[in-house]
Amino acid sequence: MPPSRWTRPTQSGDEMTVANLTDDGIHIEGLRKRYGAGDTAVDALKDVNMRVAPGEVIGLVGPSGSGKSTLLKCLGAVIEPTAGRMTLGGEVIYDGAWKARDLRALRRDRIGFVFQAPYLIPFLDVTDNVALLPMLSGRPNAEARQRALELLGALDVAHRARAQPSQLSGGEQQRVSIARALANQPPVILADEPTAPLDSDRALAVMRILNQMANQYRTAIIVVTHDEKIIPTFKRIYHIRDGRTYEEAGEGRPID
Amino acid sequence: MNPLTKKILLAGLGVSLLAALGFAIARSGPLAPIKVTVAKVERGEVVPALFGIGTIEAQRAYLIGPTVAGRVLRVLVDVGAPVKAGQLLAEMDPVDLDQRVASLDASLAKARSAVAVAEAQKQDAASKRELAAINARRYVDLGTQKFVSQSVVDSRLQEEKSAQAGIDAAEAALAGARQDLGRLEQDRNGVREQRANVRLLAPADGVVTAREAEPGSTVVAGQAVLRLVDPASLWARVRFDQGRSNGLDVGLPAQIVRRSNPQAPLSGKVARIELVSDAVTEERIAQVAFDVTSNAPPKALSIGELVEVTLNLPAAANSPILPNASLRRLGSQNGGQNGEQTGVWVVEGEQLRFAAIKSGVSGLDGRVQVLDGVQAGATVVVYSERNLTADSRFKVVPSLAGKRP
Amino acid sequence: MISLAGRDILHGWAKFVFTGIGLGLLIGVTLSMAGVYRGMVDDAKALLDNSGADLWVVQKDTLGPYAESSSLRDDIYRDLLGMPGVARAANVTYLSMQVRQGNTDIRAMVVGVTTGQPGEPGEPGYLVAGRQMTHDHYEAVADVKTGFALGEVIRIRRHDYTVVGLTRRMVSSGGDPMVFVSLKDGQEAQFLKDNEAILNDRARTAANPALNRPGVPGLLDAIQASQASNHNVNAVLVRVAAGHDPEMVAREIRRWQHLQAYTRTQMEEILVSKLILTSAKQIGMFLVILAIVSAAIVAFIIYTMTLGKIREIAVLKLIGTRDRTIAGMILQQALGLGLIGFSVGKIAATLWVPIFPKYVLLTPEDTLRGFVAVMLICALASTLAIHAALKVDPADAIGG
Repeated sequence: MPPSRWTRPTQSGDEMTVANLTDDGIHIEGLRKRYGAGDTAVDALKDVNMRVAPGEVIGLVGPSGSGKSTLLKCLGAVIEPTAGRMTLGGEVIYDGAWKARDLRALRRDRIGFVFQAPYLIPFLDVTDNVALLPMLSGRPNAEARQRALELLGALDVAHRARAQPSQLSGGEQQRVSIARALANQPPVILADEPTAPLDSDRALAVMRILNQMANQYRTAIIVVTHDEKIIPTFKRIYHIRDGRTYEEAGEGRPID
Repeated sequence: MNPLTKKILLAGLGVSLLAALGFAIARSGPLAPIKVTVAKVERGEVVPALFGIGTIEAQRAYLIGPTVAGRVLRVLVDVGAPVKAGQLLAEMDPVDLDQRVASLDASLAKARSAVAVAEAQKQDAASKRELAAINARRYVDLGTQKFVSQSVVDSRLQEEKSAQAGIDAAEAALAGARQDLGRLEQDRNGVREQRANVRLLAPADGVVTAREAEPGSTVVAGQAVLRLVDPASLWARVRFDQGRSNGLDVGLPAQIVRRSNPQAPLSGKVARIELVSDAVTEERIAQVAFDVTSNAPPKALSIGELVEVTLNLPAAANSPILPNASLRRLGSQNGGQNGEQTGVWVVEGEQLRFAAIKSGVSGLDGRVQVLDGVQAGATVVVYSERNLTADSRFKVVPSLAGKRP
Repeated sequence: MISLAGRDILHGWAKFVFTGIGLGLLIGVTLSMAGVYRGMVDDAKALLDNSGADLWVVQKDTLGPYAESSSLRDDIYRDLLGMPGVARAANVTYLSMQVRQGNTDIRAMVVGVTTGQPGEPGEPGYLVAGRQMTHDHYEAVADVKTGFALGEVIRIRRHDYTVVGLTRRMVSSGGDPMVFVSLKDGQEAQFLKDNEAILNDRARTAANPALNRPGVPGLLDAIQASQASNHNVNAVLVRVAAGHDPEMVAREIRRWQHLQAYTRTQMEEILVSKLILTSAKQIGMFLVILAIVSAAIVAFIIYTMTLGKIREIAVLKLIGTRDRTIAGMILQQALGLGLIGFSVGKIAATLWVPIFPKYVLLTPEDTLRGFVAVMLICALASTLAIHAALKVDPADAIGG
């Protein structure tokens, strides 16, 4: 188990040391995913290699059918790859077969998800939506809610803490969903087209928040996107084509 | 809505639902306490009364009919006609009775002639004997003077004797003819009686109630041609249940309610109590006569009409009384130890206690005299929803009737 | 950990509560059906209890007097009184007929009882108003279910009767309310016919030359008089003296060649297993069908509620919620629905049961059984929805 992170978040700069890359963050080697068998087999992923350092926000770009979603599902431990190696937060979770015993717990404790739509639980209020995952992990309710309020504050939606999700604007809901992804302090956040329905101002705002949170909590964030508005903001981009990834330096345009 | 408000409201709803559920289980159905009404035992008088059903009958009713079988010749009265004693009501066909009377008359005449003949013959025999006696004396004289032979004297004596015998015979014949006359007279009287018998006369004043044979129909002896009733002798034949006829006595005042006119009861008195009761229906039978007082005698009574008769007995002395609805029986089923007991449930605080009582007379209004068992002032259960036992939970309410089960 | 089921219910409480009320009415119907059956059995028991008898003496080879018609001479009770172990013996007649009051008539069982001593077998053992009968004729004590009031005049056959007392729970085994009259009135009601029939009978007798002999005046009258009287009763109710076993006394009575005697347990057996049996089966069928319908409805409701949350369930699964947490949420909702439904059902049943024409008895044991059954059915019915929820693929939350 990585050391507990329930301490004040570190205030490191934007610079990353490459020396940290192998042990923390995301490390994927030679990942392959084959659907079907025999003559009808198709390789959605042929040879995927990726590295994301803690605190880094990278983009994963590719046309539809390129295997983006398949890669995300493998990373999210939702489907089982065929071959390769995945390391998450210093822990090997897949090496030809699942190494992690409990995938649900893995997702709960180690991976945060941000979706295209906020997907908040409508019958829980904002605070409980965020506090849900820590509670499921066994944290006492008061502690989980305290943590949730901190995150909401960091995302500037604390004033909506007691509201129902249906009462929030789209942007507020998205911020709450980001807070939910961060609630259990996972080393990894997977964001699936988080800015697709947004206009450029709001999209950039989301990217700003993501960068901020990555910096603050040393989280490695992969953003799957084809949104032209935000691609320039990434410092590094992985292109995925026909099941293979190609690394590229991004523009790294600063936001605001 | 404020989530807290919502929570409070829903919690309130839930609590009230649970409360209603608890209420439903505990207050109705088999777990609820039994509702009863109570009353205090008071002292008072009980007026016992006897009640019976009767029919109106006539004390004096007559069946008018012939004493021998015959055919009805004519009927002179119809149903409802008042008749006087001795009035001719109907006549049977005399058939040959008139002829028999005539024949007997003729026989009588003949018998009288026979008597006359016998008398004449007796006269004749008497005169013959006179002559024979004179002759006999003369010849005896002559015989003693030896003027005639003894045989002649003997024959003259014998003539006298035979003349004497002739008188005897003639007397006997006369007596016989007279007896014959007497017999025929009696015969004729008999037939005359029979002839009178076919005339049916009213034995007393009355009213005809039935006309059962029309002229020309054949009736046997004992069959009624007409039925007669003395309307002044109508009374009610009342039946009293044997078990509840204690105190039945001649002279008790009675209230008689006719079925045809229940709003106008009549008064009467017990006139007679029959010695023989009806063992099959277990009833005693009494006759109750109507009072024919200054009020006009009851009109329009009809025989066979149903009446309800109430006899008031003298009131019982002042004693505790109970309504008969409070009398209960306690057997081994509901926990009684001493076999069957009749009594009441006495309310003592929150408990019920069964008190066996001895009851005296009871009135027709349901009040029962208590001789022993409870005192005046005790509170007893009168009405209850169910059978009570010594450990029933109960609740006193003002009244029970008017609630659905 | 918060209760997801509770939050979900709180969020859409109106829908949940109304669904619960709807289900509750169905459950109320089910409880009432069971109550109808219990009521029938209780009617039979009440009939036996209220007659105050330990033994029922009836015509030989009949199941009477309630299950079959039975006819006895009315002087047999005297012989029974003389037997050892018999404390009381009273004649009784039963007749189900229409009793007229004003312009309406209702179906009642007219019971002719021996009046006189309080506590005679057959007489009502308790009243709720009025008094017991004191007159020998033309008085009646009626059950409140007849709707008669004290002092009303009712007509039975050819006579008018005044209602002098009211009782409660005096019903026949078929649920008809009882009207008590004196024994002789009961005999008359049972065997005397209306005027037309009487005149008809008289004419027939008069037309019979064997009975209407001209040489024997008075014969016809005597015959017609004997035809018009009745000396039969339906049963003799016997109370056994303390310390005697009813079955022994019954055995003694059965030795008489022409009598049958039943003890309390035998009468109950006859009434419940012979008279009520078909109805019991009918109600049993109904209960099974209602249970199945209730289960189907609960399953359908919970399934629909779950389907409406499919997306949230996928998201929950994706972000790491355990299967058993999700299944627990669905199960809790089903049980909550069942709880509301049962409460509403029990309250509704308690409220509408007095309106039923026949007696309906809701026992605490049945309530408990119903509760357990409802909870079980809800749990089972939720398995369909749980199965659907567990089949959801968390990967669906991640768009194509």
